[in-house]
Amino acid sequence: MSNVKAIFSHLDCLVDAIDGMKQSGHSDFAVTAPLPRHELEELIYEGEPSPIRWFTLTGALFGGTMGFSLCSLTHLNWPMIIPAGKPLVSIPAFIVIAFESTVLFGCLATLVGLLYHCRLPAKDMDPEFDDPRLSDDVFGMVVRNLDDSTAASVKSALDEFGAVETSITGGKDA
Amino acid sequence: MSNDVNNAEAQVDTSLTYGQVTQDVLAPLFGLSRGYLFGLTLALLGLAYGGWCILQQLVWGLGVAGYSQPVFWGLYITTFVFWIGIGHAGTLISAVLFLFRSKWRTGVYRAAEAMTIFAVMTAALFPALHVGRMWNAYWLFPYPNQRQLWQNFKSPLMWDVFAVSTYFTVSTIFFYIGLIPDFAAMRDRTRGIISRMYGSLAIGWRGTDRQWRHYMAAYGFFAAFATPLVLSVHSVVSWDFAMALTAGWHSTLFPPYFVAGAIFSGCAMVITLMLPLSLFFKWDRYINVWHFEHLAKMCLLTGGILTYAYLTEHFIAWYSDNPYEWGIFVFRAVGDYWWVFWIMVSCNCIIPLIWWFKKARTNLWCLWIVSIFINIGMWFERFNIIASSLAHQFDPASWTYYLPNYIEIGVLIFSFSWFFLWFLLFVKVMPSVAIAEVKELLPPPLKYKGEAAK
Repeated sequence: MSNVKAIFSHLDCLVDAIDGMKQSGHSDFAVTAPLPRHELEELIYEGEPSPIRWFTLTGALFGGTMGFSLCSLTHLNWPMIIPAGKPLVSIPAFIVIAFESTVLFGCLATLVGLLYHCRLPAKDMDPEFDDPRLSDDVFGMVVRNLDDSTAASVKSALDEFGAVETSITGGKDA
Repeated sequence: MSNDVNNAEAQVDTSLTYGQVTQDVLAPLFGLSRGYLFGLTLALLGLAYGGWCILQQLVWGLGVAGYSQPVFWGLYITTFVFWIGIGHAGTLISAVLFLFRSKWRTGVYRAAEAMTIFAVMTAALFPALHVGRMWNAYWLFPYPNQRQLWQNFKSPLMWDVFAVSTYFTVSTIFFYIGLIPDFAAMRDRTRGIISRMYGSLAIGWRGTDRQWRHYMAAYGFFAAFATPLVLSVHSVVSWDFAMALTAGWHSTLFPPYFVAGAIFSGCAMVITLMLPLSLFFKWDRYINVWHFEHLAKMCLLTGGILTYAYLTEHFIAWYSDNPYEWGIFVFRAVGDYWWVFWIMVSCNCIIPLIWWFKKARTNLWCLWIVSIFINIGMWFERFNIIASSLAHQFDPASWTYYLPNYIEIGVLIFSFSWFFLWFLLFVKVMPSVAIAEVKELLPPPLKYKGEAAK
């Protein structure tokens, strides 16, 4: 099995290439960009939202509950009789800590979600993307797991879409 | 500076290419100029003197500080609030303006965020210095101790622990996440051990479609969390005062008043730091008058709110017909601390008014000098609130006149040196302009011009 790597210096060529690959049924590909471009995300994921939001929601709910419980349970654990009918569990006072904990745990869970979904930290990720130009001024594309004849046709198709450089590399199990 | 960058509509030079941006931003890193070494030496000297003062206090106790009973919140708490306030502009610029899709934030947000983190790191020194026995500072954090006792979660000081530590954690995460793609760019532009170092900071970032997709989603969430957080932090700091019955502090006006003051001082600090930085590093294509003018406008808005808050608190003190409340406000203006009050009013309410003139707010010298006045004014504002109220409480027999002594001034110098040391180190080892985000402002490279990317 082989991979085809292409370098694009123009965004419109890359967009055409992604479109072309999708239409010809090659869905196992990855694209790199030195900056976030929403048209790439729209084209590849077709508006499907990132699942990170579930991490954020879970973390925030946990944090809020934990913050409020910490204050309430510790005060109930040592129930001092407070004059003037002041409550042991005081909502206005504890809501501040509950809010801060919501934000803290919401952010920490978002961070975990981000690292998990981006597969970070990664040591050896896609040797094709180990190219200093990709973080600078060009876009990269790798179409993976192709047999030798398809690889050749994909390579020439990418050339036609305007890639400035294409190459066939060994696949993961090659 | 060339004419086009003085044009208010000029943001970033759109003739730049992606490659040039990377090159320009990374060019001033690492090399040490004479001016830089001079700044570093000043910071180290300040740290040495301040460190000696802190050591004196550690050995001899809080008695060496200039407290005079009943004023036990003095310079340390003033400076704590000052530095927390400075941090607020960073989060405002990086998170709030991100949500509003404001374009001018791009050039300045990275350094402003770094400023936030260093300001909070500086502020965090002060509760420890203020309590005296700083080796027991961990008692602030909630953990079950040997006697199963917990903190009083109804105390605003406890809220402050949660607010400030959450603020520091969230700002640091936000800052680091923003830096990851730029660390990857640095990894790819450097060699040897330095490249490996940035490689480990970039944790394997390759900028794939999958990574950018989750990255942008997460970045939005971080910004959405940081926005209410920044408003809550200075509100909580203001409750440290407003929850007490002390005259001059016990006011519902405090949270919005403190938040506006924090953003006012923070934006001024961004101008103070970024203006020389953009000139020394020749970054006028990325950070220029256009950005500073926006910061000045932000100062005009928040400074206006602050002036209104000063007027309101004086009016309400008079209108309440409470002799203690009105007494403290008269005392602030004409009593022992009249000079503190009038420095505050001149620096915060009067001098920045010059920025209403476009000529003044687009002149680099005028921007820089007025921003320094605002920093001075905002420090004195906190001193005015804290010292005058405590020195002039309900019982005339306990009235006093507190002034910080040389040990406290030494600690103040320590805090500035500590802050500037971190900032100086930051500008040499990390890109102070966000490479990936500046590239977003540029038109993408297209082969077929005129035909927009699909």
